Amino acid sequence: MNDKKNVVELKNVVKNYQQGAVEVPALRGLNLNVKEGEFTAICGPSGSGKTTALNLIGALDEPTNGNVILEGTDLSTLNRSKLSIIRRDRIGFVFQAYNLVPVLTAYENAEIVLALQGVKASERKERVESLLKEVGLDGMEDRRPDQLSGGQQQRVAIARAIASDPAVVLADEPTANVDSETAEKILEIMLKLNQEREATFIFSTHDPRVMERARRIVRLVDGQVQSDEVRN
Amino acid sequence: MSSSSLASMAWRNLWRNRRRTIITLSSISFGILLAVLFTGLGDRTYGSMIDLAARMGGGHVTLQHPGYLEAPSIKKTIRDVDVKAAAALKDHDVTHVVTRITGFVMLSTASNNTGAFFMAYDPEMETKKTLAVLDGIVEGNNFASSTDSGIILGKSLAENLNVQMGKKVVYTLSDKQGEIVTGLARVSGIVTTGAPSIDSGLCLLPIDTVRKVLGFEETEAVQVAVFIDDQRKSQEVADRISAHFDENTAVVPWFESQPELSAFITMKVSGTTFFEIIIMILIAAGIFNTLFVSVMERMREFGIMMAIGFTPGRLFRLVMWESLWLALTGLVAGAIITAWPYYYFSTTGLDMSAMVGEGGANVAGVAMDPVMRVGIFPENALLICFAVILATMLSGLYPAFKAGRVVPVETIKLV
Repeated sequence: MNDKKNVVELKNVVKNYQQGAVEVPALRGLNLNVKEGEFTAICGPSGSGKTTALNLIGALDEPTNGNVILEGTDLSTLNRSKLSIIRRDRIGFVFQAYNLVPVLTAYENAEIVLALQGVKASERKERVESLLKEVGLDGMEDRRPDQLSGGQQQRVAIARAIASDPAVVLADEPTANVDSETAEKILEIMLKLNQEREATFIFSTHDPRVMERARRIVRLVDGQVQSDEVRN
Repeated sequence: MSSSSLASMAWRNLWRNRRRTIITLSSISFGILLAVLFTGLGDRTYGSMIDLAARMGGGHVTLQHPGYLEAPSIKKTIRDVDVKAAAALKDHDVTHVVTRITGFVMLSTASNNTGAFFMAYDPEMETKKTLAVLDGIVEGNNFASSTDSGIILGKSLAENLNVQMGKKVVYTLSDKQGEIVTGLARVSGIVTTGAPSIDSGLCLLPIDTVRKVLGFEETEAVQVAVFIDDQRKSQEVADRISAHFDENTAVVPWFESQPELSAFITMKVSGTTFFEIIIMILIAAGIFNTLFVSVMERMREFGIMMAIGFTPGRLFRLVMWESLWLALTGLVAGAIITAWPYYYFSTTGLDMSAMVGEGGANVAGVAMDPVMRVGIFPENALLICFAVILATMLSGLYPAFKAGRVVPVETIKLV
């Protein structure tokens, strides 16, 4: 895996939040590289900086100091619209609370990023149908989020995240809101997509089962990397 | 993502909170109903008043002496009225052209005398379409010819003169040289118009008889009254007709010849416009409230959408689409709820006779129909549609801007 390129590079990243008159540090000079195809779990106690790190990698927030580089592009050099395009084209998000668009069907939710990219309808259809099949939602394309279980919604979210072949998929506690059986299935899907499509996954988690399956575990404490374990 | 996909998403968003959307649509529809009925009432009432005024007086457009408007006098006549009438009739918007002599006259009977306004016309040319008072003949008949020896009196005028049908009336007036001339007529008809000022002050005479009394030429008259189907075209018809004549003939649209009526209508129309603006503001406030609350409730959702790649501009357009859908759906709903009341008020109308009283109501000498009916001009209906869309779109601007300015990290919490 060493010959693979870095997809994400965090260089001495500092992030402070202003809470009234007090400046609270969330990240204190974080350095982290993630190579393409990695299946990385970021874990750590509450307040360790997991969320902040994912926000910065996902171009949702800006660091106070340091650089966040995605596929060689320093995100701090981009304006709001360009960051939107980066998020659309190069980053997939899987949220803890699924966060599907409630008025769209499973198919439309999975399709939305491709539609935003302007991919042709025929190509979208092919890719989305294949993806929904891969995540086990064949036959549920026309259901709205409120007609799907939590696990099914999370699978749609994974399909949405992976549909546009992003450089990295960021998953926030993807198994936190589902039962253990569903969590296992979701994890299998993510691993399968990682192996077959070589999709890069970075996820925050507290779930020991997820950590067991991760190929790399980065532990954060007080906004810094405490340990970085790579498994073969 | 295509515009149609965005429009489809906006449409579905609109119905996520059905009750709120239905309440907003109700307010838009009710606003449209009020705007259409009030505008329609004005359009029809004022249109009818203008048409009636034209039929009571000098038509929608009047050909007359250039100095007549400033100081009306029987001395200010125009000649070759037959040629002028024929020229005016060639205009494609002109439906009727008639020739008249008007002025003031002193009427005397054996028992009384009084002043009145007279209108001398050709009974073979004039019908109820050009001379409204003919509709009000309650006794006797119209003149048999333009050389008839009769006189038709307003009902109150006849009562004041204490004269009945068939009785003699002497009318005295001054001719173009200022000489006093007289004519003798027998009462051949009595008219009532509903306008007290007209019933007590108008008499009708045959035009050639009056010409003879006044010493006018055969083709000389005080005015040529021109009638058109659509009173809104008065100015343009006047402009076109005036091109045929020299400076010795003034071509005057109704609103110049009847400034009192014109001022009354202008004032009323301004009031209606003000009322409509208030309605539009209320509609806009309702829509703004709906969209703003809807956007504020979805800030997290917009944050997610921004996170997955929606640009600020696309979110702005999404909310603007929602505004447009509200406007268009509101227009359809408004049309549906307006249809029956509009039909009822345009056909049956609202009878205000009890409120107006027996004497009727008149403005600037024009009798008003006590039955209020609506009849909106198509361009005003379009204007209302446009105003609803504009009010809705303007109301959506700030909520749309707010949606486009969402900061994902502040609205989504990843952990």
